[in-house]
Amino acid sequence: MMAPYLPRLLCLCLAAFFVIHTAVGLMVALIAPYAVRAAQRMRARRAARFLLALRLLPAALGLLLVAGLCVPSYLLLEQETSAEEVGALCLAAAILGAWILRAAMARSLRAITRSIRHARDWERSGSLSNLSGARQPVCVVDAPAPLLALTGLLRPRLVMSRSVASALSARQLRAALRHEEAHRASHDNLKRLMLMLSPGLLPGWHGFRTLERGWFRFTEWAADDEAVAGNPRRSLSLAAALVRIARLGGTPAPSALSASFLADGRDLSARVDRLLRPAMAAPANSAGPMVGASVAACLAIAGVLVAAALHPATLQSAHRLMEHLIR
Amino acid sequence: MIGLFKNRAPAPLPLGPLEISLMEILWTNGEGNVRDVIDRLGRPLAYTTVMTTLDRLYKKGLLARRKFDRAFIYSAALTREEWEHKRTGDFVAGFPSHELLISCLVEAVGQHDEALLDDLERKIKLKRKELGRKVKP
Repeated sequence: MMAPYLPRLLCLCLAAFFVIHTAVGLMVALIAPYAVRAAQRMRARRAARFLLALRLLPAALGLLLVAGLCVPSYLLLEQETSAEEVGALCLAAAILGAWILRAAMARSLRAITRSIRHARDWERSGSLSNLSGARQPVCVVDAPAPLLALTGLLRPRLVMSRSVASALSARQLRAALRHEEAHRASHDNLKRLMLMLSPGLLPGWHGFRTLERGWFRFTEWAADDEAVAGNPRRSLSLAAALVRIARLGGTPAPSALSASFLADGRDLSARVDRLLRPAMAAPANSAGPMVGASVAACLAIAGVLVAAALHPATLQSAHRLMEHLIR
Repeated sequence: MIGLFKNRAPAPLPLGPLEISLMEILWTNGEGNVRDVIDRLGRPLAYTTVMTTLDRLYKKGLLARRKFDRAFIYSAALTREEWEHKRTGDFVAGFPSHELLISCLVEAVGQHDEALLDDLERKIKLKRKELGRKVKP
């Protein structure tokens, strides 16, 4: 197919993204079971971060290489002449790349819309109350199903149904609210959105379910750990709250971008057992150095990539690779 | 094409107790002739009874056989999992009302959940007592 300058660039970017994403994604999907097993030996919050980083790696690397190498090398070295031929393989890769990106975007947009709609409904129908354990007022609503969740992305709000409020004792309620506050503090809803925005491996095959399930599980465990802060009484209250809510029928998440107290309930037994373990690990309050190290590592990688991108030899190599890809 | 493969998988007919015992032996031990099966059966049965039963299982498509030294060597044509899967499929297909089946399953799962929650609640109570004892010197 003949394509002019800019459509050719778009085609190349999509094809390059698809190739990089699939290659890295396949490796990640292959090591996922081992990664989840390795994560079980870490603290819950660290395990969640590790799995999240692994899940986002294919898309992040794909975007970084396309934006940092493919686009500059094309703009600097490709002659802006008449239309050129785009090979069938390149076109197919571009179509597949567009497909997986479109699916991820559509999924995320749907979830965001649903989340906004629910938030509006609850703000209209619910009443705000200041409850012990929550840092911000909790929106108490008359929902038909038991509900206790942190919803929203930028300014997440705690939403609770009256049935949950009346079913829990004061201590249990405080523990449950602390659990949800831990989700707020670690921006878990934003991370959920990042997971949704990261495309699946191929159209019709997600390929990263093991990692995502692992992430969801460790996120809940981390929120439990942070809610109880190593206090055995709080552990008991949280465990009792979990069982009490499970008896009500669980707290289904109102949207994919909300952190529900009981999540899907599949992990209930493991969560309660963890909470009852005598030496419940106190949460690590050393997030600062970890975050600092991660930011430093990201900056270093970005710096190396920028330096490589500015180097003429790197751009020429990237351009040669793209010439192969487009044929 | 579909017709060619349609009849390859045997329809799982209900099995009698002896047939199930023989299948279990072949699933566990791989393959064997009539004598091997009798030796592993653990109860005295006539050679002809076992031979006829194995032949019946072969005709039902549950066993494969090959001739070796004037005797047949039998082996399972389906794995245990495949057999269980087929049996379940048959059970579901033969159920008069799917709604009734689903409600029975949901009820069974619900009862299981209740038992699990009771168990977790017991653990929490025990832990609370233990903690109370520790606080009181």
